[in-house]
Amino acid sequence: MSTDTKFVHLAWQRDEKMLEKVKYIMGSDPNARLSKMFGVYDKEAGLDLRGTFIISPEGKLMNSEVNYFNLGRNVEEILRKVRANIHLNAHQNEGCPAKWQKEGDKTLQPSAKMVGRVFYALE
Amino acid sequence: MSEHYGIRVGEMVPDFKIETYEPSKGDFGAISLTELKAAKKWTVLFFYPADFTFV
Repeated sequence: MSTDTKFVHLAWQRDEKMLEKVKYIMGSDPNARLSKMFGVYDKEAGLDLRGTFIISPEGKLMNSEVNYFNLGRNVEEILRKVRANIHLNAHQNEGCPAKWQKEGDKTLQPSAKMVGRVFYALE
Repeated sequence: MSEHYGIRVGEMVPDFKIETYEPSKGDFGAISLTELKAAKKWTVLFFYPADFTFV
């Protein structure tokens, strides 16, 4: 998503070799309606900040992360959050700890027994 | 200064519709949140300043 038109998206994807294998859909938001909705439009620069938002199939906003213009994002971490959201949507009484990476990794189920014993629960 | 309308985590996202370029088809299109919800898809919105930039 950027405030570029779809025509510029086409030109960029076709010209820049780094984008040769891009499969995701490139969205165009020339009047910044969507970036304003998500609070990432910088009025002075006239550009979008580097915001990442994960939306569930029900339409609920589950994650929000915003970087300044000059800091790139870690795609692995974004994919980890998507995997965790998918898991948690199906197992709403669980929690995915910071080091959770993928389906099958240990999750936590908050209980009286676990209070002050998270170290042992993660073992 | 960024303009803050600002949907917060945990809130429902209002419907939106955007024009798109789809590299896998080599063609233009459009997509809406309503369509994505109907298809039971997770959506990652990835904003960046501009095409032909660097980070």
